[in-house]
Amino acid sequence: MIGRRGWIGLATVVALLALWFVLTTLTGQITSARFPSPAEFSASLTQINTRGYAGAVLLSHAWHSLLLVLMGFAVAVVTGVPLGLWMGWNRRVEALVNPVFLIIRPIPPLAWIPLAILWLGLGDAAKIMVIWFAAFVPSVINAFTGVRTIDRPVFEAARMLGTPPWRMVREVIVPAASPMIFTGLRLSLQASWTTLVAAELVGALVGVGFVLNMAQQDIYPGMILVGMLTVGVLGFITTQALGRAERRALAWNVAARD
Amino acid sequence: MNSPPLPFRESFLYGAAGLFLFVGLWTLLSVTGLVPRQFLPSPFEVAGRFFFLLTSPFAGATLPEHLSASFMRYAYGAVLAAAIGIPLGLLMGWFRLLDDIVSPIFDGLRFIAPIAWVPFAALWFGTGIGGPVMIIFAGAFPPCLINAYRGARFVEPRLIEAARMLGTGHVRMILEILLPAAVPSIIAGLRVSAGLGWQSLVGAELIVAAAGVGFMMVQAQGSVQTPTVMAGMVAIGLVGMVIDILLRRGEGWLRRRRGLEA
Amino acid sequence: MGSIRFQGVGKVFGGKITVLEDIELDIAEKEFVAIVGPSGCGKTTCLRMVAGFEAPSSGTVSVSGRTVTAPGPDRAVVFQQFALFPWKTVRANIEFGLRNKRIPAAERESLIAGALKLMNLESYADAFPHQLSGGMQQRVAIARAYVLDPEVLLMDEPFGALDAQTRVVMQEELVRLARRNPRTVLFITHSVEEAVYLADRVVIMTRRPGRIKEVLNVRPIRESEDWDRFQKIEDVMDLESFVHLRTHIWKSLREEKGQAGV
Repeated sequence: MIGRRGWIGLATVVALLALWFVLTTLTGQITSARFPSPAEFSASLTQINTRGYAGAVLLSHAWHSLLLVLMGFAVAVVTGVPLGLWMGWNRRVEALVNPVFLIIRPIPPLAWIPLAILWLGLGDAAKIMVIWFAAFVPSVINAFTGVRTIDRPVFEAARMLGTPPWRMVREVIVPAASPMIFTGLRLSLQASWTTLVAAELVGALVGVGFVLNMAQQDIYPGMILVGMLTVGVLGFITTQALGRAERRALAWNVAARD
Repeated sequence: MNSPPLPFRESFLYGAAGLFLFVGLWTLLSVTGLVPRQFLPSPFEVAGRFFFLLTSPFAGATLPEHLSASFMRYAYGAVLAAAIGIPLGLLMGWFRLLDDIVSPIFDGLRFIAPIAWVPFAALWFGTGIGGPVMIIFAGAFPPCLINAYRGARFVEPRLIEAARMLGTGHVRMILEILLPAAVPSIIAGLRVSAGLGWQSLVGAELIVAAAGVGFMMVQAQGSVQTPTVMAGMVAIGLVGMVIDILLRRGEGWLRRRRGLEA
Repeated sequence: MGSIRFQGVGKVFGGKITVLEDIELDIAEKEFVAIVGPSGCGKTTCLRMVAGFEAPSSGTVSVSGRTVTAPGPDRAVVFQQFALFPWKTVRANIEFGLRNKRIPAAERESLIAGALKLMNLESYADAFPHQLSGGMQQRVAIARAYVLDPEVLLMDEPFGALDAQTRVVMQEELVRLARRNPRTVLFITHSVEEAVYLADRVVIMTRRPGRIKEVLNVRPIRESEDWDRFQKIEDVMDLESFVHLRTHIWKSLREEKGQAGV
């Protein structure tokens, strides 16, 4: 079942691909110095998959980038969500942390890249640090908001039922805040990819961003397109995985089922 | 939720304690040499550097000059994103066919981080103004489009029915019904856009540019001038904050005028 | 076990707004008391003080002779908004309080089975709350409260969020439940009919600051007229004794509204 919307979408994509072929290959209106033709794109793809480019084959570049994102993201979630929950739960913690947070928050994560390189060099550690900073903020804010917007009766019902503190956290606060927590995780994941690509473009020795960087310096449009599409595919896969986890965790939630 | 807000005095004291701890720890790490001063200058050194850069050039220009170069690009990119994104979003919210055509393209491109456009941006528009502007555009465009689209798409159906009943044409429907109804959503989108655009600008300047704050920071990083890097971060944070505050003000004003809670 | 006592209870919010003044009320064990009064008269505050969600500004509230200081499973609450845990199934919602009371698993099973049967929920045990209608959700909430075998049951406009027909069904069911398994119940409601139909005594409150205006003893009338021989609420509502009581309360409340100038 595709439906009207699906058919139009499919037609659009086919038309775009045809246009790409016509403009680059048949009429030559777009020169290959600006944008690769389908043939050049596929040649670049073959090259990086067989002989490799920028020091490795595509799969190992992609794998490396994916690992870094997952690690930075994981560190951010493991530190950010509990802090946000705690701030939401305890007004004193909020009052203590908030001013520092307000000072650091306006600095875009990408602005940490030079400092991270100064501190940790061009290797993986610097990237994980910047991703952590980028993904930390949405995790904290959304977990915080999640706790603050729990319906008072739900919370009172738990107290009325004599819920001990640890169970209150695990079975009431975390699940009640989880729709917001997942919103935060989605934003965090997006920020993680943006930051990683930027960090690898600024300086790296391997990774998708490094492929882009090399292709830019070599003025190699075919490889640039390969790099960009790889970024897109990786972003898509991780977003889908997170969405699946969310649907599973929030099966009870009406709002999550659209 | 659970506890009432702290009284102002108490919350002020806690806040001050938090800041003091933060600055104190930073100073301690730096002054005692636990972290080499070359890599972690004390807060005072950074502040001093910041004021020094206000008048003395680094990487070819003073900090205000770098900032104004950055801001020019930013303004071009952000205005372009709003000028294309908002009308397109409104049109998509009204014309189903356009929605069905653009949405799949947009959904496909959405997963590519805006910063990944850097190589093509440099190739197509150079590294002076055009390239960075395109990257800012790539960062700021999606929220403009999405929020205008949502605002127009989810207008109270009664309003549209009422306008239809009064015999309203397409142009007037978009300009006088959908646009005003979507304004709160559009403004919210602009705020997100502004933040993302500013962040993209920084990224763009770190990678390809010959002027601007980001460029200054990369140059400082190359010559291990940590205080200058951090002063640049402060400047970026300050400008980002000012932009956000201004847009928040605008949003609050608009919501009050509409009789919505601020 | 299970008596409730208000001794000189007053409540002031924010140091300014006096909500309750000088409340003296004794509720005996297994007695069903309903409180009616104009909006904002503090009737819900009375219940929340017994539950331990709010502390009185003056006087004391005690349950079974112990002064109330905090919420606990000995005083189960049924909320107007149901307040079920949406991430837990019906069974898990009912089980939650039992686990908090550290009741062993085998015993929990039989208690849950009993509660499900009592409220006709057997076939919904593994459903999530959002899959149930409002009436069914409130049944779960009542089951969750009843299963704890609390000393007192506090019901805060429990049927206020239900549609008129469901409401009648729930009222009839609650009457059967209350006559078969009598508990000490404090019941807050807007509806005069509901109060007269359900309660042994009806407490009428004045408008803010709320005081007890009048306490009507319904039980002797109900027993002498044998209301319980009827299955349906409308048959009871037609009885002259019922109409008489209802009119009396209406007039009493109308006086309160009149004073408010409405």
